[in-house]
Amino acid sequence: MKQIKLSKIFFWLLLAVMTVIYLGPFLFSVSISFNAEGDVFSWPIKLLPEKWTLNNYKEAWEGLPFSTWLRNSAIITAVQTICNVFFASLAGFAFARLDFPGKNIIFSIFMASLMVPGIILLVPKFIILNEFGMINTYGGLIVPGLVSVVNIFLMKQFFETVPKDLEEAALIDGCSYFRIYWQIFLPVSKPALAAVAIYTFQGAWNEFMWPVIVSTTSDMFTLPVGMSFLKNEFSVNWPILMSGTIMISLPTLVIFLVFQRYFVEGVASSGLKE
Amino acid sequence: MSVFKSKRWEQARTAYLFIGFPVILFSIFTFIPIIFAFVISFFDWNLLIPDKVFIGLGNYIELFNDEVFLIAIKNTALYTVIVVPVQTILSLFLAFIMNQKLRGRTFFRTAFYIPAITSSVVTSIIFLWIYSKPGLLNYLLSLVGIEGTDWLTNPNTALFSIMALTIWSTSGYFMITFLAGLQNIPKSVYEAAAIDGASTWTQFWKITVPMVRPVTFFVVVLGLIGCFQVFDQIYVMSGGGPVNATTTMSYFVYNNSFKFFRLGYGAAGAIVLAIIIFIATWLQKKYFPSNPYQ
Amino acid sequence: MAKVELKHIKKVYDNKVTAIADANVVIEDKEFAVLVGPSGCGKSTMLRMIAGLEEISGGDLLIDGERVNDLSPKDRDIAMVFQNYALYPHMTVFDNMAFGLKLRKFPKDEIKKRVEHAAGILGLTDFLHRRPKAMSGGQRQRVAIGRAIVRQPKVFLFDEPLSNLDAKLRVQMRMEIKQLHKKLDATMIYVTHDQIEAMTMGNKIVVLKDGDVQQVDKPMTLYNDPANHFVGSFIGSPAMNFLKGNIEKSDRLYFKSDSISFSIPENIEEQVSTLAGKAVTLGFRPESIYDHDYEDRAQLTEKNAITIDVTEPVGAETFVYFTAGETELCMRSSSGLIYENNQEINIGFDVSRLYFFDPESGKRLV
Repeated sequence: MKQIKLSKIFFWLLLAVMTVIYLGPFLFSVSISFNAEGDVFSWPIKLLPEKWTLNNYKEAWEGLPFSTWLRNSAIITAVQTICNVFFASLAGFAFARLDFPGKNIIFSIFMASLMVPGIILLVPKFIILNEFGMINTYGGLIVPGLVSVVNIFLMKQFFETVPKDLEEAALIDGCSYFRIYWQIFLPVSKPALAAVAIYTFQGAWNEFMWPVIVSTTSDMFTLPVGMSFLKNEFSVNWPILMSGTIMISLPTLVIFLVFQRYFVEGVASSGLKE
Repeated sequence: MSVFKSKRWEQARTAYLFIGFPVILFSIFTFIPIIFAFVISFFDWNLLIPDKVFIGLGNYIELFNDEVFLIAIKNTALYTVIVVPVQTILSLFLAFIMNQKLRGRTFFRTAFYIPAITSSVVTSIIFLWIYSKPGLLNYLLSLVGIEGTDWLTNPNTALFSIMALTIWSTSGYFMITFLAGLQNIPKSVYEAAAIDGASTWTQFWKITVPMVRPVTFFVVVLGLIGCFQVFDQIYVMSGGGPVNATTTMSYFVYNNSFKFFRLGYGAAGAIVLAIIIFIATWLQKKYFPSNPYQ
Repeated sequence: MAKVELKHIKKVYDNKVTAIADANVVIEDKEFAVLVGPSGCGKSTMLRMIAGLEEISGGDLLIDGERVNDLSPKDRDIAMVFQNYALYPHMTVFDNMAFGLKLRKFPKDEIKKRVEHAAGILGLTDFLHRRPKAMSGGQRQRVAIGRAIVRQPKVFLFDEPLSNLDAKLRVQMRMEIKQLHKKLDATMIYVTHDQIEAMTMGNKIVVLKDGDVQQVDKPMTLYNDPANHFVGSFIGSPAMNFLKGNIEKSDRLYFKSDSISFSIPENIEEQVSTLAGKAVTLGFRPESIYDHDYEDRAQLTEKNAITIDVTEPVGAETFVYFTAGETELCMRSSSGLIYENNQEINIGFDVSRLYFFDPESGKRLV
């Protein structure tokens, strides 16, 4: 009995240490962001600020082009998320449910492209966008990410699980294929659509490499690009920097916490697999 | 025209309409660029110079005589060889724990997952601060009497510090992947093992590990592809320094293409990297198949 | 009037696989026709061709005298009930039923009237605002039937609608669908692999095997007068017994096999005489075997001694299994006699219930 207890204590201790390792850095940066003293590099380090303040957030918001970057990030993320959900579900429906000449070859090419490392696309994409005059524009930031093959694949996979009966019942009821997509398949695919939306949202919101290449002036920066720029330019004021990082992280965190529950419900209640 | 011919035609027309935009977008931003990348790599293609000169394999020859590129290959390989196994094992371990009956499971799962959903720039900035000379890490070390170093400006520790950050931030993501795989293992298999007298530890090694092998394969492939192309953390934390100690191949490609505007040279570097990734995943498929039992 | 006629209907799939070779079936107006056969026999394909979900490779399909090969499903004026219900999970019961009418631009009050009427017939009135997932299997199937009723189609098509329900519910729904047929007085075509379902529900049964129509008849005609070996074996439970043997002629005609022999009874002697000297497969139903020592009502063939292998008393009757040569045979005894394993008894066959089949083609000879 005693041995079981010991191993249990060890287990919970391990879990606690892991949790501190995974969450600690965030808590610590939250603590810095509320620190009223500009110089946080005093030794020894204080885990909690002696004087608390909200000024760092205010300064980050007002003193920096933070709101511009936020607007850019928001626009890019919103457009890419909506377009991905729409176009990926359309294409996924076509690949899963419609027959047309060239279907297999087109889909194979799509899938094969997933094997190609993104890094080799950077230079040619840049040159192509440069020809269109889209460098340092919303177009250049948004258009290449309007629909991703991974999302098309996800939607196709999901649509294939929808029973064929449902489609045939709709055909007998008198639906056109577009109506089958719009009125039958989309409404029953909420969990998959949510997954695509969440993944796209997170990917777009956190994307760094492409915007750092395409945006060249501060007014076109996204939040991550802006923050890395800040870090290079004014790496002295850590509290302000930290308050910025906290603000960037909040939307993804909130969305994750909210939709985590939605996910569980979605999976449990999708009464389709019968 | 029969109904089925017209129905087939209606289907095809609808389908082309549905896939039209994705296909166009894919062609412009993926298909054409893949081919274009090879073309560019044979040219001295500089954004600042209007003339594009065909130089054949010139860029490739230069690459393999470029000391920085060779260092970048070495750094990238080292980075991958360490990060992939550690993050895979750690995430499987976390998933195994999270798959147990456990009070507060949702909380712990969320805690481990948060680094994965946070912007790489944010985590890089936080760790920049943790790793600095008067930072959190050194403070904790000083509590147990160890004198730290300036982790990111010390060439001996810089790359390893970034590796640790990567492992920290991706293990939660792969934990979720493994967790999905673990939940597919029927409970009865564990129950049978328990009746046979297997301890939790034996169950982990003799049941969990072999049965999630397809997931492991997937995690390793994704890990390889991600590690070979590591960029964000390098850009934010070290800029490739000190003295190229953290210059990876993708950072090298970025620098040459978009800092020095030597697009042809950068494209060639990217293609070399892509070939390395292909070889690595091919080797993995050959020597570590996803399901050897079939 | 909704007569459905299949004239030389053919189905060949792209990969040159013939699913249905040449089907000719006429289903009269207001008839309840059941397509039955083992899986892969082409019964669902046939139904789906009638529905317009499957292309017809050759021949003519007439509904109400009009050739409908080239009409799409929605224009054929049919309604279909699917095996997995195929209810739209995101719509309420009302909307599920109303969907087809809405698409056909029916006025709102007419839709409401029809849906409520159908719901009344099916006992769904209290469930109209529920979603399918909040309902039981039987209720879902009723909704699926309701969706067909509101359309008031010329022909109802059912594709194994009861196979997802448990045994008790299946029996109940069987009755309900039959009563519905009476009430609606419409043409219905029903697919099933379950011969009991076929026998109890249909006015007309179409037995299919390997894409060929074996026999089209009323249920009891199929049972009493099977056209071939397959129909004999498929209809009835426990299945018809088959015994390989020869017709031999000496002083009179005899059926002879390894273990069982008897003289051909007079009532069929003339017909059987053409088979003299030939190999045949004898078919007889379990209830046509009697214990010769105790039976006096039916006219029986000569005694044959057998040893019982296993008995299965199921209450009102007892199934007695025994082996003749290498063939396992079954006798259904409802005489109330008690049999035991390894007991020796004398059996005889009801002379009016013997079937002779061609052992090669399976065709019924006598």
